[in-house]
Amino acid sequence: MTELTSKVDIEARKKAAEILRQKFLKLKEAIDQGEPPIMEIPKRTLSNTIYDENKKLLLLGSAKLKRNFLDLNEAKRFMQTTLMASIIYDALINNEYPTIRDLYYRGKHSIVIKDPSGKTHEENTWDEQKESDSVIVDIEVFTSLLREDMLILSKEKGKVVGDMRIRSGNDVIDLSKLGHGAYSIEPTPDLIDFIDINAEFVLVVEKDAVFQQLHRVGFWKKYKAILVTSAGQPDRATRRFVRRLNEELKLPVYILTDADPYGWYIYSVFRIGSINLSYESERLATPNARFLGVSMVDIFGDGKKKAYLTEQERRNFIIKAKDADIKRAQEIMNYPWFKSESWKKEIDIFLKKKAKLEIEAMASKGLQFLAFTYIPDKINNGDYII
Amino acid sequence: MSVAKEKFTQISPAEFFKKNPELVGFTNPARALYQTIRELVENSLDATDVHNILPVIKITIELKDEEKQIYRINVEDNGIGIPPQYVPYAFGQVLYSSKYVYRQTRGMYGLGVKAAVLYSQMHQDKPVEVVTSPLNSKRIYKFKIKIDITKNEPIILERSSISNVNNWHGTSVTIYIYGDWIRSKQKIYEYLKRTYIITPYAEIIFKDPEGNVVYYPRITTTIPKPPQEVKPHPHGVDLEMLKGMIAQQKTNMTIKEFLIEGFQSVGEVTAQKVLELANINPEKKIHDLTEQELVVLMNTLKKYEDFRPPTADSLSVIGEELIELGLKKIFNPEFVSAVTRKPKVYQGHPFIVEAGIAYGGSIPQAKEPIVLRYANKIPLVYDEKSDVVWKIVEEIDWKRYGIEGDQYQLVVMVHLCSTKVPYKTAGKEVIGDVEEIEKEIRNAIMEAARKLRLYIAEKRKEEEAKKKLITYLKYIPEVSRSLAVFEVANKEDVVKLNSIVNEIQTKLLELVSKRLELKDILEYAKQVKVESE
Repeated sequence: MTELTSKVDIEARKKAAEILRQKFLKLKEAIDQGEPPIMEIPKRTLSNTIYDENKKLLLLGSAKLKRNFLDLNEAKRFMQTTLMASIIYDALINNEYPTIRDLYYRGKHSIVIKDPSGKTHEENTWDEQKESDSVIVDIEVFTSLLREDMLILSKEKGKVVGDMRIRSGNDVIDLSKLGHGAYSIEPTPDLIDFIDINAEFVLVVEKDAVFQQLHRVGFWKKYKAILVTSAGQPDRATRRFVRRLNEELKLPVYILTDADPYGWYIYSVFRIGSINLSYESERLATPNARFLGVSMVDIFGDGKKKAYLTEQERRNFIIKAKDADIKRAQEIMNYPWFKSESWKKEIDIFLKKKAKLEIEAMASKGLQFLAFTYIPDKINNGDYII
Repeated sequence: MSVAKEKFTQISPAEFFKKNPELVGFTNPARALYQTIRELVENSLDATDVHNILPVIKITIELKDEEKQIYRINVEDNGIGIPPQYVPYAFGQVLYSSKYVYRQTRGMYGLGVKAAVLYSQMHQDKPVEVVTSPLNSKRIYKFKIKIDITKNEPIILERSSISNVNNWHGTSVTIYIYGDWIRSKQKIYEYLKRTYIITPYAEIIFKDPEGNVVYYPRITTTIPKPPQEVKPHPHGVDLEMLKGMIAQQKTNMTIKEFLIEGFQSVGEVTAQKVLELANINPEKKIHDLTEQELVVLMNTLKKYEDFRPPTADSLSVIGEELIELGLKKIFNPEFVSAVTRKPKVYQGHPFIVEAGIAYGGSIPQAKEPIVLRYANKIPLVYDEKSDVVWKIVEEIDWKRYGIEGDQYQLVVMVHLCSTKVPYKTAGKEVIGDVEEIEKEIRNAIMEAARKLRLYIAEKRKEEEAKKKLITYLKYIPEVSRSLAVFEVANKEDVVKLNSIVNEIQTKLLELVSKRLELKDILEYAKQVKVESE
C-alpha cells in the first residue's frame, strides 16, 4: 500500500507536537500549583534585534517578556497564544497541513458572556489575520519551533532549476528535467533530501523573468549552476533552501538584483536575516552570500574598472532615484553589515549619482551579454561585493 | 399694674390676628388649607410621640360647599387628649405663651390651632368641633366652640359627653375652612411625606377631597427621646420676656431669688455677681424694679460671660437611625447616611443640627439635589430657595464627594432643632443666616457627605474590579479549553476533557480572585453566563 504522507512528515509532526505539548503543559502545571501561568518569550523588538559580528547574522537578543495571564494587559494575548497553540497542536496530531490563513479562521470566534446585571460582553478571539499571524510568531519564538517545523504551510514563490536530484516526500525529483518549468521550493525545505548534485555555484536572481530567460538560454547547463529565484522579497522557504545549498553542499552563493537600495536589501535578507524575523536568522540566513550585481561600479565604472554600459546606454537605461530610495540608502548605510569599504563606495556612488538601474536593462543590452559575458565575467574575476 | 397686662386690654390678640392673618401663614385659601392641616397634625404629634405614644393620625379633607369652596378638615389622633376644662381655652382663646419654660415644640406660634379657628370663623358659620378623651378618662367629651373675637373668649355652643367604653384616648378636631385644594394639593402631600420621613414610627392615613387615600405604615417602634422642659438661659433673654416672667411670679420674691429660680446656669454666686455688675440690690423685690433697672439687668445678663452654656436637654433630635430609616422608606435609595451633631449655642439658645443624605437607587434624576428642611421636626415646604440650607447645598462641591455629571440623584435633609429657630420671615418657613447655625449645617452635611464619598469610592473600586473580572472571565474558558487539549489529545474523550477544563477554570478563577482582592468572586462568576459558540 502506498503511503499517503511521507515518513519525514510523520517524524517532524511527532517531534513538533511533543515540544509544543511540553511547553504548554508547563503552564497548566503552574496553574495546578496555584502559581500564575507565565510564558517567557524573547522580545521581538528592534531594540532586542542584535547584529552578531561573529556569526554575521541578525539575531534576537536575550531580552524576554513575561506574558502573565493575570496581568490584565497581557491576558488577551495570553489567551490568543494558548488558543493558537492548541489549534496547531490539534492539526499536528491529526495529520493536517494548515496554512496561516486556516489557523486564523479556525481560531476566530466570538466570546460572548452575560454578566449578572444582564449586560452582554462580546469580543472576538482575534479580528484580523495580522493578529493571529503575530501570535504564530510568538509561538515560534516561545517554543523555538519554526512554523515549517510545525507543518504550517504558507504560499511560497521561490523556484529552482539545476543539475541535481532531491527527495521531496516519497518522490525523487530531477531538477534538470523540468523542461521550461522549474521546481517550486516547498514550504518545508528541511524535509528535502539532497541526493546528488553536479554544480559549482548557486545564482539567486531577484526577478522571476530574468530567471526564466537565463533558464531558457541554458545558463545553468553551461556554467554548472543551480539557478534560484526569489521572485522579489525572499520568503522563508527560499532562504532556507539557499542556506542549505551553501551550508550542506558548500556551494558559493551569488545574488543578482536591481541596482538600487531595494535590491541591496534583498541581498541583505538572504545574507544577514530580516529585522522582522530575526528569530529565525540562524536557520534561514546565508552569511556567505555575495552580492554579484548589478553594482554602481558596473554602471559607471571607476579608476580601475571600465563600466559595462556605454555613455549612450546609461542615458537610455538609468532611472532617476526617488526620495524614498535616497532615504532607504541612508538607512542602509548605517547597518553594520553595510559598512565594508566596497559597500561604502557603492552607496556613495548611488547617493552622488542619484541613479538606479533595473537588471532587465542588462538584458536589454542583450540576453547573450547578460548570460554569457556579464555574469561569468564577474564570477571569474571575483567581482562581487560583500 | 404690670405693663404686660395692660397691653392685653388695649387690643384683643384675637382681634389682632384676625386683622393680620398673613402673619401666621393664612395668606390665601390655598395656604390656609395647608396651614390648618399642618397645625392639627403637629398638635397630634405633640400629643403622642412627646408622651411616648406611637402616633396614629387620620386626616380627612372633604369639600363641603363647592360654590363657596368650604372644606371640612378632620384630624384624629391617639394622643393624651385634653382635659375637658381646658378644651374651651385651648381652642377658643388666643393667649401668649403661658409658661416661661423652654423646650422644643412643634407648635410654632403659641397660638397654633386658634389661628385656624379664627380664620375659619371669618369665612363661614360652622364652629370647630372637638372630641377628646384624656388618658384613662371614663368619658369622651364633645365640644362645639367659637371665639368671641372682641373679648378673646371662647363661646361654647355645645358640650356633651358619653361613656368611654373602649378606653379610647386622643383628640379629634373638625374645622371648616375656606380653602383651595387644587393649589395646595402638592404642598400638603409634600408636607405629609416629609413629616413621615422623620416620624417613621407613626401611622398616617390621609384621605383627600378627591377620594384618594394615602397610607403611611409604621416601620419602627422607636420613638426619639422627648425634649425636657428647662428654664431659659440668661443669654437668651430680652426685655419683653423678662417683664413677662416677672409678671407671672405670684409671690413678690427678691431679684436674687428670682434669677436663681427663673434661669438655668444661675446659682447663689452667679446671681450675686450679676446683680453687683448691674448695680441692683439683690434683696430688692422683683415687683419694685424700675424700667431702668430692668434694662440694665437684661443687658448685664446678655453680656455676662461666665454662665455655663445652655443645656441641650430641651432639645429632641430625630436621631441618625430614624433619619436613615425614613429616607430609605420614602426614596428607596442605594445609600443613606445621617449625622446628629453635638449641641451648639447661638445667642444663648442651644441648637442641634442633623443631616441626612440619600443617594442613587430610585431617587429621580434632577438638575439639583432634593433638599428637605426641618425645624423642630416640622417640615419646611415653602420658599426653599431663600433658606440658608439651600445656599449651603448649592455651595458644596458635590464632585468632591464622588457625584459625577450634572444630574443628581441626591436627597439632602437638614434638621435644625433649637429652643429658638431663627426664622427669616414672619411666615416661618425659612431659616435665616446665623453664622453659628450656618457653620453647623455645613459641617453636618459635609460629615454625612463624607460617608457618601467613602461609599462611592468603595463602589467604584468594586465596579473597577468587576470590570477587570469580566475581562478575565471572557478569557478563562478559552485558556482552559486550549490548555486541556494538550492533556487530552483525543477529542472523543469528552468527559475527561471537560473535567480537566473545569479544573483549570476553577484554579484560574482562584488566581484571579487573589489578584483582584475580590471576595465571593466564585458566586459572581457563577452568575456570569458564557454564551460563546
